[in-house]
Amino acid sequence: MAWQGNPDPTGVRSISRTGDFARLPGDPLAVRQEWSDEALMTAIATRDELAFVVLYDRYAGLVYSTSLRVLADTGLAEDTAQDVFIRLWRRPQAFIAERGRFITWLVSVTRNRAVDELRARGRRQRREVPSMETGDPPQWNQLAATGDDPLAAAQVREICVRVRAALCDLPAGQKRALELAYFGGLTQQEIAARTGEPLGTIKTRIRLGMRKLRRALQDEKQED
Amino acid sequence: MTGRCLSQEEADEFAIGSLDPLAEAEIAAHLRSCQACLGLVNLSLQVAAALSFAVPSHRAPASLRRRTFLAAGVARPRMITRVLRAARSAAAVAAALIAVAALAGMIILRGQVHDLSQENTDLSVQVNEALSQKIEILALTSRLNEEERRSADLMQAARGDRDLLLALLSPESDVAEVFAVEESAYSLGRLVWDRGQKKVWFVASRLRPLSDGETYQIWASSGGKYHSLGTFNADSSGFARYEAMVPQGLESYESAVVTIERAGGSPERTGASVFVADLSRFRR
Repeated sequence: MAWQGNPDPTGVRSISRTGDFARLPGDPLAVRQEWSDEALMTAIATRDELAFVVLYDRYAGLVYSTSLRVLADTGLAEDTAQDVFIRLWRRPQAFIAERGRFITWLVSVTRNRAVDELRARGRRQRREVPSMETGDPPQWNQLAATGDDPLAAAQVREICVRVRAALCDLPAGQKRALELAYFGGLTQQEIAARTGEPLGTIKTRIRLGMRKLRRALQDEKQED
Repeated sequence: MTGRCLSQEEADEFAIGSLDPLAEAEIAAHLRSCQACLGLVNLSLQVAAALSFAVPSHRAPASLRRRTFLAAGVARPRMITRVLRAARSAAAVAAALIAVAALAGMIILRGQVHDLSQENTDLSVQVNEALSQKIEILALTSRLNEEERRSADLMQAARGDRDLLLALLSPESDVAEVFAVEESAYSLGRLVWDRGQKKVWFVASRLRPLSDGETYQIWASSGGKYHSLGTFNADSSGFARYEAMVPQGLESYESAVVTIERAGGSPERTGASVFVADLSRFRR
């Protein structure tokens, strides 16, 4: 809790703003807002409560929005988001920096936890997963990351715009199959049964959809 | 499955969560022992996770923040955060108030400076007026002093005229006619010797003006020796009136002579005579 310095975790791939940590010695919260996600997780592993506060403020909106997208219930979404952050606080070592970016890990954990909740509540059969285009109007100018760190918020917003553009290029069938699998928690057989399409068609749509999405994201990275 | 590595398509299906539970469990078991497939799945997970970035964004309720921190036992940082934010807000408000106060102070100060500048201008005008008045007063004072000097001269002349009049009226006075030595000159003069006042007056007109470095000097001869009675000059009209005290010890005198000497007078008579007067007929 009293730790004010720059955490130096093993496996943290890039802390490009290490030199900035000493710039705000008087405000421990402001200092941590300059830290990367991986640096915050390392600090949380040492029970740095302020690091947890900063990480929560940075990604509470994204976690809650993902949970709400899967569960379509604000109360359940709040419970799921709370559970995700509680687990993050209690078992930070579950995140292994070498395996990928923190935000990917956080979204995956959130999605899996929400789908588990969905399955546990037996809501799968009763619920029609709405498309992203038919649900609430997207608020692209609203940040998924609602914390005080403008850099993190800008990075998340950039990713949102990029993914949204990639999804717009996907055929409707492929996008629908991906959404039913990822947000609906449905298997390929369940999607085929839900849509009345052959299983092979669903498999093809998912594979092609993932391939195109990956390619689009890679093209964006290469352009950057 | 545990012995066979994953294809890209299988990794994608696993990452998107579209496999049935049995197939999913087999892949999970394989991933625990295959780092290569784990890396492949992690890349697929990044693609799948990107779907979450495209969902409509909702702001997490404030109550979720409180209950999450409470459940995590991190209530203290919330208080610290509040205190810090309150402190920052207070500092910002204080800075704004200080800025407003400084601005108001500058405006007031500027007004005061303007007023002082105006007062300074008024004072400068008053000082200039006072200086002008002082200059006028000095000029008047100078003129007054000049008038006083003229008045003193006039009074002196009046006193001289009075003494001369008294001498002319006195029975102890003698008046001698003065003759011009040069016949071409038309100078006129009289010499009054007052034994009572022991003074001598010499009055003459039509005197010729002298050049710079010259002066008239009057002498009285006694026992063949000339005693200087003093020097004088004529005014621009050629008039001169001179009075002098009779030198002590000069009891007998035969004549008086006016000569032209160098400026300041000579101890001995050297210049040419201009007037002469016979004093031998004076009563002793």
